Amino acid sequence: MAIIEVKNLKITYRVLMNKSGSLKELFRDAVKGRVRILEYVALQDVSFTVDKGEVVAILGRNGAGKSTLLKVIAGVLPPTQGTLEVNGKIAPMIELGAGFHPEMTGSENVLFYSALMGRDVKQVKERISAIGEWAGVTDHMEFPLRTFSSGMVARLAFSTATDEQTEVLLVDEVLSVGDADFQNKSRARMDDLISKGAAVVLVSHDMNAVRTLATRAIWLESGKVKMIGNPEEVVAAYETN
Amino acid sequence: MKYTQLIRLLVNRELTLRYKRSVIGIGWTLLNPILTSAVLWFVFSYAFASRLPGGQQFAPYLMAGILMNTFFNQALMQSADSIANNAGVLTKLYVPPQVFTISSALAGLINFFIGMLPLALVCFISGQNLAWTLPLVLIIGVALAVLAAGLGLALSILFIRFDDTRNIVQVLLMILMYMTPIFYPVSAVNETMQAIIRWNPLTSYLDIFRWAFSNNATPTLFSWIYMTSWSICALLLGTYIFKKYWPRTVAML
Repeated sequence: MAIIEVKNLKITYRVLMNKSGSLKELFRDAVKGRVRILEYVALQDVSFTVDKGEVVAILGRNGAGKSTLLKVIAGVLPPTQGTLEVNGKIAPMIELGAGFHPEMTGSENVLFYSALMGRDVKQVKERISAIGEWAGVTDHMEFPLRTFSSGMVARLAFSTATDEQTEVLLVDEVLSVGDADFQNKSRARMDDLISKGAAVVLVSHDMNAVRTLATRAIWLESGKVKMIGNPEEVVAAYETN
Repeated sequence: MKYTQLIRLLVNRELTLRYKRSVIGIGWTLLNPILTSAVLWFVFSYAFASRLPGGQQFAPYLMAGILMNTFFNQALMQSADSIANNAGVLTKLYVPPQVFTISSALAGLINFFIGMLPLALVCFISGQNLAWTLPLVLIIGVALAVLAAGLGLALSILFIRFDDTRNIVQVLLMILMYMTPIFYPVSAVNETMQAIIRWNPLTSYLDIFRWAFSNNATPTLFSWIYMTSWSICALLLGTYIFKKYWPRTVAML
């Protein structure tokens, strides 16, 4: 059974042409018959599956629909058409530390972030010091997050997000967190999660990371799948394009 | 439910974070209604105190009104804002957005209960005893939180789509406040106004609250039915509107 199954996915945004941000403007435009609604197609006819232990990289230019696709898999954006099935828990690392609050301490943020990801707060409580230690911020855990450097915040977020084994990891350009040491460490942890059966969907502009990490690559162009297959071949085709 | 732990953390955050950098911290929750009531009592007690029915006291009457009105306004606006305020989370990972609305309403409810401590004090000072019906304030608080959360859910969609609706709602809330007998007795206004005030749902909540707390008003069976139906309808309508429009609204965050 595939962990992620995307079938004929279509996502459209409705855009008001003369963007009326207020009720007053919308009313004025409606009276004058000037409201035009444009259907912006962000993704179309996207189908693929991701199995246990697979790493699927998504390539494409800015605006090709990569992040939209991740958001759909994360369950944030409902599909306009088509279906999406995810069997298992998701660790969304679309943006590290989404929901972190500068006035709360490191420990409080770890708890909060974990609760947002739907994890059991009681279990996380016992893991806090281990999470802080792995991120290398043990001494700072009881201070407000605003006293952390941005690297420390990112490390703590990565440490929290990957602390539990999950079935699905969604990664959006977060492999470049921290210094070289930490990058090696986080890479090792990712490999460990994958070897234990996590399926990874990864968005990256770093072609080296795609070549070495991915088992399959999907090239998106203007919301459609342009190419899907072996990462070496897809990257080569993408780079000569 | 899977998200009760998250709701607890959110409520906790909302209660403590607002006062994180203030000296007396959560003491403001106690002090705020006292100060507002003191000012209004100073202004209005000459005009209205003598017009209350026999046995009713103006100071607790006024303060109960302010306490409840603050609770409703804050719970409504904060739950309506909660979803836009947490856009950063809601567009990055899956959490049922209603979790934020519920937490805001609950935080308001807890502030409401905390505010009852100074209200009890004012009751004693003005020579009133707390009524034996006091436990019923739990029901009233929950009913009002449900009303605020239900309306807040519907409004949150509106606020995200149209910037100016927030200002409109604030003006409407002010009108609603003046149509609620917070600092005047109903008998002080003419009969047309009295009818309007009676149909204002907040009047029913407030009558019941004043009565349950220190027997300082006379609600009728109508007040109870009216209160319950408003809360239930707001919740159903809010949930329906939210479910219907959220999939398209989330793309606008």
